[in-house]
Amino acid sequence: MSARTNSPAGPVAWAFWMRSLGEVTRVRGAVVGTSIAPLVFLLGTSGQFGRLVGLPGFPTDSYMSWIVPLCCLQGAGFAGAAAGANLARDIEQGWFDRLLVAPVARPLLILGPVLGAITRAMVPVTLVLVVGLLIGAELTGGVLGVVALYAASVGFCTVAAMWGIAMAVIFRTQQAGPLMQMGVFLGVFLSTAYTPQPLLEGWLEDVARLNPVSHVLELGRQATVSGIDTSVAHTWPGLLSLAGMIAVFGAMALVGLRRMGR
Amino acid sequence: MATRSSSSQPAVAVRGLERAFKGGIKAVDGLDLEVPEGEIYGFLGPNGAGKTTTVRILVTLLRPTGGEARVAGHDVVSEADAVRRNIGVALQEAAIDPLMSGVELLRMQGALHGMRGSQARGRATELLERVGLTDAGGRRVGQYSGGMRRRLDLAMALVHRPKVLFLDEPTTGLDPTSRNALWREVRGLNDDGTTVFLTTQYLEEAEQLADRVGIIAGGGLVAEGTPAELKSRVGEPTLHVDLAEGADVPAAREALSAVGPLVDCRDDARVAIRAARGKATVPIAIRALDDAGIAVESVEVVSPTLDDVFAAVTGSTLEGAGDAGAADDEVAGVGA
Repeated sequence: MSARTNSPAGPVAWAFWMRSLGEVTRVRGAVVGTSIAPLVFLLGTSGQFGRLVGLPGFPTDSYMSWIVPLCCLQGAGFAGAAAGANLARDIEQGWFDRLLVAPVARPLLILGPVLGAITRAMVPVTLVLVVGLLIGAELTGGVLGVVALYAASVGFCTVAAMWGIAMAVIFRTQQAGPLMQMGVFLGVFLSTAYTPQPLLEGWLEDVARLNPVSHVLELGRQATVSGIDTSVAHTWPGLLSLAGMIAVFGAMALVGLRRMGR
Repeated sequence: MATRSSSSQPAVAVRGLERAFKGGIKAVDGLDLEVPEGEIYGFLGPNGAGKTTTVRILVTLLRPTGGEARVAGHDVVSEADAVRRNIGVALQEAAIDPLMSGVELLRMQGALHGMRGSQARGRATELLERVGLTDAGGRRVGQYSGGMRRRLDLAMALVHRPKVLFLDEPTTGLDPTSRNALWREVRGLNDDGTTVFLTTQYLEEAEQLADRVGIIAGGGLVAEGTPAELKSRVGEPTLHVDLAEGADVPAAREALSAVGPLVDCRDDARVAIRAARGKATVPIAIRALDDAGIAVESVEVVSPTLDDVFAAVTGSTLEGAGDAGAADDEVAGVGA
């Protein structure tokens, strides 16, 4: 038996990433869907709920500033979930078998689609942020705030990709696509997406408090919400939540992957 | 790159292999087989016989539920990574990303097998030339024909110079020209020392390519040997004589019965006899008919085919079986 059995991780990850880039640049409209949806949501939601900022305790007087980080996370989340749908397609079409018979460490088979999803997510996140700033959102957190927003977006994209990949390797069909998207939708919907936690009532208040996505939103809102300053206190809960969700869904994906040939 | 281990071990060794699915259905049931290094082994069987399941176990895509299998000297379960490093795999229905070009796919395959950039680029160029895709290498695979995809698929399986190459129904859906080109390539690879494990439903493919053939049915091996050995087990060749219009059939039967034992024939204008000496029987039969004054339309010697072998050992015929040459030779327009 040879001493080295698996190929070096760096070139393999690079190869996977390059393939993902190809999907972005060669498929017309590949990023349009994931970009248009959060933009429409940004415009629609700010129009419908704009007056919420008048409620006592709302941490900003600009609902656009409140909603921009949410839409960034939505765009990143759906780009992440699409990684699961793409993987399910690869499994159904047999491409994934080609990767499975290569001497590649199994976690790299998950890392590849995640890297691709993060790359794709940068388009809607940047577009939403720029459009949001152009139509009234305020950049109260400066450069550090923007860094926090991108960290939250990249992290949430990773979480959604891990979730989507877990669903893909467990169900091995593109028909699991709605389940992948539903996970992102519910995660965001049952958080402090539209209203700060103190203004929520009943079961939704409890769920939003326990929902780690609320902390990720707080991390991102350091960029545009004047009442959430850039600080360690507003940063670590979000980072910890991301780490926890990545660990849980990543483990689910790895276990599902290992069970594929059994 | 593939590791070259000691050559004393068989390329593929399977002992009591089993694979059961939910409900206790056994797709592979106690399979034993051994493929020495440097051989082309044809694995023949109809849909559902267990051949694809066997291949998926041998290439580490599926775990066996019983028995053991070693490929290139490595256990497919406990040394799966080592097996992967030593095998090339072209599975049924070439799964290739249509958005990528041939060059990109080969370079990616090189990276998956631990090649450096320049090494992978050089190998991609070499392989595209080998499979006749140099001009198409820069084009997206979505624009390739079925035959081109198959050749690229084969090239991808060869990037790391594998010791054992698994080809799962490599010519399904190909036109005769593409099929012949692929066969030439497989023979060339084998000449270079690569062991080839070929699964097919096409009898002609097995006859053309395989040094030995294993026939699987019901999850187990029911016959194994060279194509000639297998066919000889079924019986002798038969000489078929089509008589000219108006010829005296009983007289023809009497004349030919002196050459060899008569064989039942459904066609009234045709007489058949056993031809233990193969084609050498033809002039003897023609002379006998000529002496009896019987005019002949045509004569052919029919040898047993792998389909006959398959029917004999399994009691059924292969679905989608190819047009394996039933007639070894045909002499048309022979008159008395």
